[in-house]
Amino acid sequence: MPGALSGFRIIECGEMVSAAYASKLMADMGAEVIKIESPHGGDAARQRGPFPGGEPHTEKSGLYLFLNTNKRGITLDLEQPQGQEVFQRLVKDADLLIHNVQPGHMPPLGLDYDRLAAMNPRLVMTSITPFGLRGPHAEYEASDLTLWNAGGLCFLNGGGPGTDHLPPLKAFGQQSGFTAGVHAAVASLGALFARLRGGLGQHVEFSVQECLMGISEFGTMMAAYAGVAVTRLGHKPIQPLDLLECKDGWIFICCVEEHHWHSFVDLMDNPEWAAEPIFEDRLKRGESWDALKLLIQDWVKDFTVQDLYLKAQARRIPFAPVSTMGYLLNSEHLNARGFFVQLDHPEAGSLTYPGAPHICSETPWELRRPAPCLGQHNTEVYTELGMTAQDLAALQRAGTV
Amino acid sequence: MSRPPLDGIRVVDFCWAWAGPYGSLQLAHLGADVIRIESAKRLCPSRLIPPWPDNESGVNRAGYFNQYNQGKRSLTLDLKAPEAIDIAKTLVSKSDIVMNNFASGVMEKLGVGYDVLRRIKSDIIMVSLPGYGTSGPEKDFVSYGPPQVAQSGLSALTGYVGGPPMMAGFSYGDPNGGIHATFAVMSALLHREKTGQGQYIDLSQWEAAIMLLPEAVMDYSMNGTQPERMGNRDPHMAPHGVFRSKGDDRWVSLSVRDEAEWQRLGAVMGQPELSSDARFASLAARKENEAALEEIVTAWTQERTADEATQALQKVGIPAYPSLDALDMINNPHVGARDYFVELEHPEVGTRRHMGIPWTMSRTPCEIRRPAPCLGQDTEAVLTDIVGLSQSEIAALRAKDILT
Repeated sequence: MPGALSGFRIIECGEMVSAAYASKLMADMGAEVIKIESPHGGDAARQRGPFPGGEPHTEKSGLYLFLNTNKRGITLDLEQPQGQEVFQRLVKDADLLIHNVQPGHMPPLGLDYDRLAAMNPRLVMTSITPFGLRGPHAEYEASDLTLWNAGGLCFLNGGGPGTDHLPPLKAFGQQSGFTAGVHAAVASLGALFARLRGGLGQHVEFSVQECLMGISEFGTMMAAYAGVAVTRLGHKPIQPLDLLECKDGWIFICCVEEHHWHSFVDLMDNPEWAAEPIFEDRLKRGESWDALKLLIQDWVKDFTVQDLYLKAQARRIPFAPVSTMGYLLNSEHLNARGFFVQLDHPEAGSLTYPGAPHICSETPWELRRPAPCLGQHNTEVYTELGMTAQDLAALQRAGTV
Repeated sequence: MSRPPLDGIRVVDFCWAWAGPYGSLQLAHLGADVIRIESAKRLCPSRLIPPWPDNESGVNRAGYFNQYNQGKRSLTLDLKAPEAIDIAKTLVSKSDIVMNNFASGVMEKLGVGYDVLRRIKSDIIMVSLPGYGTSGPEKDFVSYGPPQVAQSGLSALTGYVGGPPMMAGFSYGDPNGGIHATFAVMSALLHREKTGQGQYIDLSQWEAAIMLLPEAVMDYSMNGTQPERMGNRDPHMAPHGVFRSKGDDRWVSLSVRDEAEWQRLGAVMGQPELSSDARFASLAARKENEAALEEIVTAWTQERTADEATQALQKVGIPAYPSLDALDMINNPHVGARDYFVELEHPEVGTRRHMGIPWTMSRTPCEIRRPAPCLGQDTEAVLTDIVGLSQSEIAALRAKDILT
């Protein structure tokens, strides 16, 4: 059955996460994605891992394998004039070109919207860059960590009683890249929709910093409406909203609304201390959290995570386990929904992957193929472009592919 | 000027709180007519929480609501009344997309489930995005954005070296669930444009959050191991962290990605001898001696402001940026120069700075055309222009307290 995006042809020049995640989402929805990698080692995500047994291997990086499902992969050196000629032939028939090349590196690689649009006026080109293409910081170098800071998200976390001297704390992994990627995919589909109606493509300029600022929640509003910078230090204003330790792991206890708290007190069998005025409402519980946390922690410690989670949920209190990977992969709920999928890769073997977070009634999501090995589809794709075996061999000799 | 991409697309937005409204905000950014269904009898939680200007509360004064509902319209309807459900159905019959993030089953109980709505509008696209999705043994469990950070696995992976699990963001699960839902909606909209077929999308916010940590899932899948918490460090780069700078709780982030950058860092810090220091001669050596390395970097950063350190490092091409707090953000000269901020006159809060659209389009510009709506601000207009009710019909509904 065709996917929602069947028939769209996408060229991706992606390193690491943002552009690759955007085009993975589209590939998993049925789009035909051709990923261009440098012949000199390919996408840096190939070096990131994790690797089976911790042994680095170009074809076995977990991050790369996840980010590039359903794509075909070719090698092409865009720094060579010959490489750019081939690139232009590829772009000529494409619906979308998506990349995350730094602004300063775009011209030498031929990533020039005006020139490409002159050959293919229907082309949508999405440029995902750390700080956008213009403005005083446009040329700044960035990493996932520095972007998480530039977007104000890092400053929100870490600290708290006992750790206030420690730095703002980044979230695990490559969160700037993933968040930017899914937003850039939405913007790209918007431009493709406009083209279905109006016929012409356009250039979509995307700033990762701005995207992250836009999800920084309370922070920017407190600043704009109340003139204060929310601090990550000291206590949180509302409690209980914290991570506590059970017998066999950690649980997130969450009483956002008063009725959650009342149900929780009932679950704890109405201890006398719960009626103390210092625990009267969520703000007072925030101020008194040092004392309250000890009391709750003492009660929580005798439960298993699962037991407490289910007991709380039975009373509609939104507790959640602090999931480990083992817990997730064995979750009855996630498995009943078919979230995790088994996929075979010629080098990495059969592995379990996160699937899709959505179930679409008419255009089922599917994994049609694993991530490409470096240059795996060179012959196939270049033949489709009309090249002969001799042409391809010449390009190979020149180191272009 | 050209029309925005989703000009003429109408969204009936039953979403509330944070995840759903963030998703429909993106559709408004793209130019859709997003109509939020609200009720004073069951107010959106984001209208009820601070910050408010001058700390004076009011349903139209909440920064939270006003940020994440820019560009939308507000229709107040008491969905407990059968007449209100009829109006909602008529509105759906003239719309393209229906969004909701109620708990599983609520739309069906209200009588506006997909099976009903598809009979009213055969090509409707409907998305539901409850925390757990709409199927599976835990589908009736309750969820909020903050617990999803824990439940997704992100908390167990996030934290200082040797420390307990920690949070990421305030409520990171919410915007993430919302934007993944919008991606699915946009895909369905393109499919509909080509085939005429609508569909139903069941999105799980929990699963959307697991999409953000594939390295850990794959590690477990490959090796059966759970990655250890490593603070701000990175297995492939060192130094890589957030370092104290001059001022009270001020910090600068930086990443040294390769040997050439390591050499340049030594030079910038005025310690070229570091490049021949055996303790730091390779990535492996720097990882081995990372605590000592971080002390050396801190000794340099804490003598400068975060801006000074950033400028010095960027001058030699090393990724660095101040760890911005919220006041830094709303005063950031770079995004200010890019016209990212939106400052539209709002009848109750005046002109405030809001976060804008993170993309620009060269041919079909996207812009925020109006501030977030006051409660029920567009009830009259929507009922007259779209639903097609007369003034006397509207007055009768008002008399029965259905339009609040």
